[in-house]
Amino acid sequence: MGLPGLEYALPVFTDPLVIGLIILGTVAGVVVGALPGLSSSMAIALLLPFSLYLDPVPAISLLAALYCAGTYGGSITAILINAPGAPPAAATAFDGYPMAVKGEAGRALGIAAIASSSGGIFSVIVLLFAAPFLARIAYSFGPPEYFALAIFGLSMLASISAEAPVKNLIGGCLGLLIATVGVDLTTGVERFTFGVPELSDGIHFIPVLIGLFAVTELLSQAQKLGQEKFGVRLSAVKLPSLDDLRRVKGTILRSSVIGTFIGVLPAEGATMAAMIGYNEAKRWSDEPEEFGKGAIEGVAGPEAANNAATGGAMVPTLALGIPGSATAAVILGGLQVHGLRPGPYLFDEQPGLLYGIFFAMLLANVLFLFVGLAGAKIFSRISLVPPTLLWPTVFALCFVGAYGLEQSVIDVWVMMLAGLLGFVLKRHGFAPAPIIMGLVLGGLVESSLAQSLIIFDQQWTGFLGRPIALVFLGLASISVLWAPTRAAIGRLLPRNRRTA
Amino acid sequence: MKHQDTYVGVVLLALCAIVYWLTTGFPEVPAMLSQNVPPTFFPRLIISLVAILSVALIFNGLGKSREIRARIKPAVLITASIIVLAGVLVGLLGTLLTLGLIAIALPVAWGERRWRPLGILALGLPAAIYLIFSAALGIRFPPGLLLDWLL
Repeated sequence: MGLPGLEYALPVFTDPLVIGLIILGTVAGVVVGALPGLSSSMAIALLLPFSLYLDPVPAISLLAALYCAGTYGGSITAILINAPGAPPAAATAFDGYPMAVKGEAGRALGIAAIASSSGGIFSVIVLLFAAPFLARIAYSFGPPEYFALAIFGLSMLASISAEAPVKNLIGGCLGLLIATVGVDLTTGVERFTFGVPELSDGIHFIPVLIGLFAVTELLSQAQKLGQEKFGVRLSAVKLPSLDDLRRVKGTILRSSVIGTFIGVLPAEGATMAAMIGYNEAKRWSDEPEEFGKGAIEGVAGPEAANNAATGGAMVPTLALGIPGSATAAVILGGLQVHGLRPGPYLFDEQPGLLYGIFFAMLLANVLFLFVGLAGAKIFSRISLVPPTLLWPTVFALCFVGAYGLEQSVIDVWVMMLAGLLGFVLKRHGFAPAPIIMGLVLGGLVESSLAQSLIIFDQQWTGFLGRPIALVFLGLASISVLWAPTRAAIGRLLPRNRRTA
Repeated sequence: MKHQDTYVGVVLLALCAIVYWLTTGFPEVPAMLSQNVPPTFFPRLIISLVAILSVALIFNGLGKSREIRARIKPAVLITASIIVLAGVLVGLLGTLLTLGLIAIALPVAWGERRWRPLGILALGLPAAIYLIFSAALGIRFPPGLLLDWLL
């Protein structure tokens, strides 16, 4: 059985602009991923306004390549200076840095590149088969099913961080509330516009996400000023041996499956996939006691899983219009900005675009293996760029990115306010990703709920007659109640033990 | 001392009350036009959810002792002020001049004292932004009152 949509691969692989942008996105992704504080979500948010100057296929290919390569890039600084360039690479530092301290930095980087590339390729192949399949199922979805699916996606926010399920749900609701600003499409009534004409069309999500991701991080970096980083120098990039590859092949395959599955779940991203990938690598290892001291499987496990999550996250994003991760939410927004509505009908209307994105991701995953191996030594030096010079440049890009979309100073103020608010929220344990998810899904949730209630003649019990919607709402309830139930059981168990 | 979550929950509840009050100012729409889903319906539903979750946050905080957090450094407040100042200055000085000034002010506020890289950044950053975004992509940045007055 061949790969589906192979006929759409040729235009991608023969278009010099697309190839050039994929290479640019791959290199930029590795660089951004390698810089502590900068994430692929932030870079995509910054690039999004400028991608509007491109056709959809090259634009989304650029963003998708950046997404894939950015997840790998984080491992470079995680291994070399024990500072993960991005949260998904945090687990890689557990064993990658001890390997570097032992003089095996090249081996660790080589395994990270191979595992990341393998995980990414595996997940894109799954994406090629699963997305059209999922889209076919979604053809039968009506407004109640879409509403229930979006609620399920938002409910998963409760489980992305064990410490703050309530805060994540509040963040998601805050995003939904921001999405209500502007003219209500059903009645034409202005909501929360305060007489500002520019707000009639609503708050555009791009300035908000630039603010929440980039300006918030700029302020967080100001709080971290003066903290020194300790690292080891990379003497040589030595490819891992065949023995190394034989040793980690099972770990890579297992983590690729885990990462893809975690990525497919709405809201669950690469960070959780990497943590589970690391834990499973340790659980299956013959030498679990070596983990934390420089076990090669401890690098391969999380790296294969976090990159596999990128392809997995694109499955619900493209097939259903429900983002699989924060970065996928930004890409979903990018598709919307290009006038495309991700979902099952996109497979009929724009198959070339969708398969173009799939093959761009496939190519990016192959490319960064070579870029990562050949350029690791150079990329490791990127972390030496002084933050005093890097962050003003990032701020200038935030400014231009927010302004460039509508060429409106109001958007610049929205970006700044979102950044300041994001910093205050982050200090109190609220992550930016749930707000973005709520904001991106806001329109879908409100319109599908309104349509459902009209269909059901205002009777909420109408959902009981829709089995698919009922399943999603049931899963959403489990997802929301899981954390408090587990915590309550945890509180009860020691008491029972004491009384026994 | 109570855990910070308790106070955050109380602040959120107060915000919910304010936002709910704002929804009372929405114009009334006949039921026929709104198809029984008035413009206040969805915002109020979300506000109610946030209020419920805020109460959960308050109770969550009551069971925990206060968390010790690092104080906000002056550099954060200065950076935030520079960000806001940039928004104010852009209308007066224009985008490129403002970004040039920010390229000096922000690094200096963060302790950078090497004047050569600072000079290169202050001149190079607006120049690069002009070439890439204005000349190549055609974005028209606000010239600012100063340039308007000079021309």
